[in-house]
Amino acid sequence: MLAEVKFEGVHKLFGAETAVEDLNLAVEAGEFMVVVGPSGCGKTTTLRMLAGLERPSYGRILIGDRLVNNVAPRFRDVAMVFQSYALYPHMNVYDNLAFGMRAHGVAAATVASRVKETAEVLGLGQLLKRRPSELSGGQRQRVALGRALIRQPQVFLMDEPLSNLDAGLRVQMRAELSRLHERFRVTTLYVTHDQVEAMTMGDRIAVMDGGHLQQVDTPETLYDSPANAFVAGFIGSPRMNFLPGRITSLGGRTAIAFLGTTAALNAKSRLISDRMDGDVLVGVRPEDLSWRPAAGPDSTLTLRAEVDVVEPMGHEAYVTALCGGQTVISRFPPRSGVRTREQVELALNPDRLHLFDARSGETILQRPVAGGAELFRSTGAAWIGAQARAGPERQRPSTAPGVPSQSEEDVIQGGTA
Amino acid sequence: MLAPALALLGLLFVFPVLYAGYLGFTNLELVGSRSHDYTFTGMDNIVRMLGDYVFVKSSQLTIIFVVGSAIIGQSVLGMALALLLRRAVVPVRLVVGSIVIVAWVLPEVTAALVWYAFSQAGGTLSILLRNSTANYLVLTPLLIVSLANLWRNVAFSMLVFSAGLRNLPTEVLEAAEVEGASTWRRYRLVILPLMKQTIVTNLLLVTILNLSEFTLIYVMTQGGPGIETMTLPLYVYQEAFNFHQLGYGTAISLVLVLFGAVFSLLFVRAARNQV
Amino acid sequence: MSAVQARAALPSRKLIVVPYRRVSLAALSTNIVLIMLGGFFVLPMLWMLLASVDSNPGWAIKLPSLTLANFTDVLGTAGALSSFRSSLILAGTTTVVTTVLAMLAAYPLSRQHIPLKRSFMLVILFASGLPVSMLLVPVYQLYVTLGWLDSLYTTALFLAASSLPFAIWLLKNFIDAVPVELEQAAAIDGASTLRILRQVVLPLTVPGIVVTSIYTFINAWGAFLIPFVLTSSPDNQVGSIEIYNFMGSHGLFQFGDLAVFSLLFSLPVIVLYLVMSRYFSGAFNFSGAVRG
Repeated sequence: MLAEVKFEGVHKLFGAETAVEDLNLAVEAGEFMVVVGPSGCGKTTTLRMLAGLERPSYGRILIGDRLVNNVAPRFRDVAMVFQSYALYPHMNVYDNLAFGMRAHGVAAATVASRVKETAEVLGLGQLLKRRPSELSGGQRQRVALGRALIRQPQVFLMDEPLSNLDAGLRVQMRAELSRLHERFRVTTLYVTHDQVEAMTMGDRIAVMDGGHLQQVDTPETLYDSPANAFVAGFIGSPRMNFLPGRITSLGGRTAIAFLGTTAALNAKSRLISDRMDGDVLVGVRPEDLSWRPAAGPDSTLTLRAEVDVVEPMGHEAYVTALCGGQTVISRFPPRSGVRTREQVELALNPDRLHLFDARSGETILQRPVAGGAELFRSTGAAWIGAQARAGPERQRPSTAPGVPSQSEEDVIQGGTA
Repeated sequence: MLAPALALLGLLFVFPVLYAGYLGFTNLELVGSRSHDYTFTGMDNIVRMLGDYVFVKSSQLTIIFVVGSAIIGQSVLGMALALLLRRAVVPVRLVVGSIVIVAWVLPEVTAALVWYAFSQAGGTLSILLRNSTANYLVLTPLLIVSLANLWRNVAFSMLVFSAGLRNLPTEVLEAAEVEGASTWRRYRLVILPLMKQTIVTNLLLVTILNLSEFTLIYVMTQGGPGIETMTLPLYVYQEAFNFHQLGYGTAISLVLVLFGAVFSLLFVRAARNQV
Repeated sequence: MSAVQARAALPSRKLIVVPYRRVSLAALSTNIVLIMLGGFFVLPMLWMLLASVDSNPGWAIKLPSLTLANFTDVLGTAGALSSFRSSLILAGTTTVVTTVLAMLAAYPLSRQHIPLKRSFMLVILFASGLPVSMLLVPVYQLYVTLGWLDSLYTTALFLAASSLPFAIWLLKNFIDAVPVELEQAAAIDGASTLRILRQVVLPLTVPGIVVTSIYTFINAWGAFLIPFVLTSSPDNQVGSIEIYNFMGSHGLFQFGDLAVFSLLFSLPVIVLYLVMSRYFSGAFNFSGAVRG
């Protein structure tokens, strides 16, 4: 029994503080939606509003077709996995799992069989008689999961369930959760601050910052086409390099001057900016900035830099270098042999550049994304919709200053690159 | 640095305790020949107690008083107040909480006085019950005294339970809500079990504190009418200082301590069993 | 930024308001029940308040014919004033002795490694609960022998002894809460023990000392049995005994005076409690005891 979830115009104020502002988000039935952002961005508040533990100050929340604003948590048919697991410390695993069903008056025989089933699925079969204090962190986490699964709810809510686990266990559980989702396909809202979890687990990701929804898209789209500098910097590790630049022209084509060099933009890309020659913020991902000797043919731009720090990661090395007066991070092959103070050549594919408005952080460059016909849609500030399937709604921050509200609907057919 | 405290305690506390342990088995009296020539009389006092119907009645009264007013009364009312105040609006919480606590802070004599006034013929209680000639202090003395004690001491339990409730893990309670438990079920299966330690601690403390209650009862009734409210502490006082039977009085006080020890053991045992 | 301003700062796009019932039935009944309970609790105290300003009071609560005559009566009586003085001497002496000794004892108990410390603390706690009735006879005997009867100061000594166990326990817990690292840091910086005590421990323990001494004072002020047994002359009757005496003299009942006297007698204690509650907020958290 899958249900979709909708947040319509939801605001949450705590006294004078706005925790969530104008949230419009739709989660499809059976979708695994990850809500990600730094601490304090409002993601947990959003989750709790869906659970019914907080009441929205304005706006509507719908589960299925039902308006649930005034529905108590116990009647919403949602299940929640808390960050601290919140297991009943005085009950054993069996009773922890059975609690929800018993609260709904399910017959004892059914309870017994469902508990057994769920315990099997999660590998808890031998632990049913134990108390939470006698379990390891990973085991407790699975009991918390089981407690949610067993109720077969319409929606799963998860509040950073993996953050209390050690690294190895976390990787394991990520895979486990994905497997469970594949199997049961329950609509899930998953909150985390870890972008790696978001990227690996989500069908779609909603990025929040300061109470505002920044962008909702698939992981790939978020990576390739971030709506603003915040999303661009949040997704991807190591973090994108942000550099000052200016719009100028080169040989009749629009170009960007940065890091002491000038790069012409791809003819198929489009610049949305009301200032045709102004300051911009240039974004370069470390993985797009490579060591000349190791770079491919598309990396037509060459930059000279001096190595500052080399951090070997085993499978590659993160190299911090000084280039054109700026500090940049680049990904080098593992045994490049470069050392501090060495002069190196960095290569860059200009088609991989991101451009952001210097003041608002909005993306101002629409690039053709490789792989088939894309639909670009913009209302006012530039944002890039997702691919062929019905574009999910995307919210733009409502307080972006200085951005003209153009009412034109621009549709560009971008061909393959 | 410990020395001064230990000295005072040693002289005026430890020594009396030990001395009392001895005196309880003597025939010391306050005045007369036995006030200097007193002897160790072994089990005589104990035999006397067992045959003393006042002692038996007094023990019964004490148990009824402690169980009724303290163990049941203060714990239940204290818990009820703690739970209700938790959910009340701030002004109500402040005002009602303060009233209950002021009742506790008042000097015992004052509490005794106001309850004396309350339960007299023509007092507020008799007017409320529309029987203005009834002196409830005489009609139902143990009940009135128990109520007065409850009124005075419930703040303690209330504070202990309030602290305990505040320490409950919020996320566990929220989990129970989301899982579908009704309010009643939440209290029965989650809140109360998690409060068990606090409840036992409270029972222990409340029993010890109320077992030796003297002033409130004495000022209100002096043990009367007759011996209707002669709990053990009052009986000790009567025997020792009114009837000058110091040895016998001390023996009775030893029984009181015994009661306290027994109750404590029972509670600690009960708590441990239900791990 | 106030809530109104926050709301005004939201985008001018229309805000969706979903109405809900602000007052639930459960909340309403909770508050009503509490108010009723509170009302019942207040009744006995109300008598005292109303009778004290009533020119013709009885035993019941009634609308007073307002007067301050009762106050002037009581305040003019030598006996009343002297009993206040006695109470002050008794409670004050007790508090000073108890607090000083408890402080001296609690510090080493908290910091030093004393063998069997835990059992000692448990014994202390248990001692706090011993019925005074048990101690009275031997102490009475002792006082007779020493000739210490009928003196407020010697009575205060015994009162202090019986208050000491709990005071030590309280104070030790407060000192425990002061991190040892602070003292160690001061020692490394070259401070002597005395200086450490004075400038590091003492200032941080002040709330604890305040709480302990106020608690001791409140108990000593209301003490009845001990002064009742150990003092006899009229000059040495403390306030609580005075009230008792008043109540015993049936025919000569001046309800109004009695009410005023008890009101005045109770006031210091209530004021002190209010002062203490500002410091006291953490002390009733029996988390240590709860675990045991």
